[in-house]
Amino acid sequence: MKLIPTASQTVGPFFSIGLAHLHQDSTKIDSADAQTITGIVVDGDGQPIPDCVLEFWTASSFARVPTCVDGKYSVNVEAETTMCEVLLFMRGLLKPVYTRVYLSAAAKARDAITSKLVPQDRIGTLIAQPGIAAKRFVWNVKMQGGDETVFFDCRSSLLTNDAAGSLRF
Amino acid sequence: MTTPIEGREARKKTQPPYLFPGYVSTQKRAPLKPLILLPENSSSLFIPVFGHDSVRATDADLTRQQAGEPLGERIIVSGKVVDDDGHPVRGGLIELWQANAAGRYRHHLDIHGAPLDPNVTGCGRLLTDAQGAYSFVSIKPGAYPWKNHENAWRPAHIHFSLFGAGILSRLVTQMYFPGDPLFARDPIFNSIPDEAARTRLVSTFDWRTTKPEFALGYRFDIVLRGAKSTPMETDHP
Repeated sequence: MKLIPTASQTVGPFFSIGLAHLHQDSTKIDSADAQTITGIVVDGDGQPIPDCVLEFWTASSFARVPTCVDGKYSVNVEAETTMCEVLLFMRGLLKPVYTRVYLSAAAKARDAITSKLVPQDRIGTLIAQPGIAAKRFVWNVKMQGGDETVFFDCRSSLLTNDAAGSLRF
Repeated sequence: MTTPIEGREARKKTQPPYLFPGYVSTQKRAPLKPLILLPENSSSLFIPVFGHDSVRATDADLTRQQAGEPLGERIIVSGKVVDDDGHPVRGGLIELWQANAAGRYRHHLDIHGAPLDPNVTGCGRLLTDAQGAYSFVSIKPGAYPWKNHENAWRPAHIHFSLFGAGILSRLVTQMYFPGDPLFARDPIFNSIPDEAARTRLVSTFDWRTTKPEFALGYRFDIVLRGAKSTPMETDHP
């Protein structure tokens, strides 16, 4: 019998008190090969969200960055990274949202899982655009709206639901 | 015995929804489109390991981080972190933050008129031990007002951030104190539909960890989602 996981609660507006010790300083680049992703996080009115914290997880690394007063963030990831899993926490989110960013459309295409599951007209929300220089990317997150970023749920039990039968693979 | 679907619906009620209009900030920030379901095993297996270099001894005693002692009621919060199979989460990083005894955070955006306490940072962190156990010393945080609705006050709480067996185990939550009269009107607490799940966020007073002439003990146990969380894995190719 599985235990029921503890309920989530919002990170609130003052998370930096407890979480800032792991905030990555993206102005410092450890390696010349590092890639930098920058972007803005906006709400359903298109307003910047200044009190969001993002965590970028890859197969071998973890980076946490907050948004600034203008809703913008900047994160460095390793040279070989083509995809990050991302959690966003903020006031107004009772539990984190879980998404992915692909550092090129080609990386996305190689990921058969996401290609199959995400509707074609929304898949662009997961692909970072080339930035002002090599190894620089832009990826914005929209919490709501016609071009709302794709957010995932990760529960294999749901895939056994008949209603989700089309999602079997 | 519940059917899988009933079980799924019941489990869903043990977590808050994204959109909970009574908590006003969710209205423009909650995703409104359906989530895309991914198979559980598609996520990263990477587990960040946080060593003792990220945690100093004083980080687990929030009353000894400054020159003097904070004002307020000293507390010792202890508990155990396990995964949903009941296995201890060992060496897991716990990050904590809280308001001072007057209900004020040491944060430039906290404009509540209650006084700051020069001896409170409100920041703590520690690693769980080989049994998944943790314990820290602090002062009981105060309730504080917020602008969500008329005369809105948050019940006293301590923020917890935890790492377990990967990204799906990540948990940020809040621990409350028993008997708080503010529970009934707090939309954040009440966003969890299942009463038992909600109640599990309320710590219990603990004589066993209460230290004579020193501090009151509270117990708060935590269950993190495991790497394999759901009981119907076999249906999945």
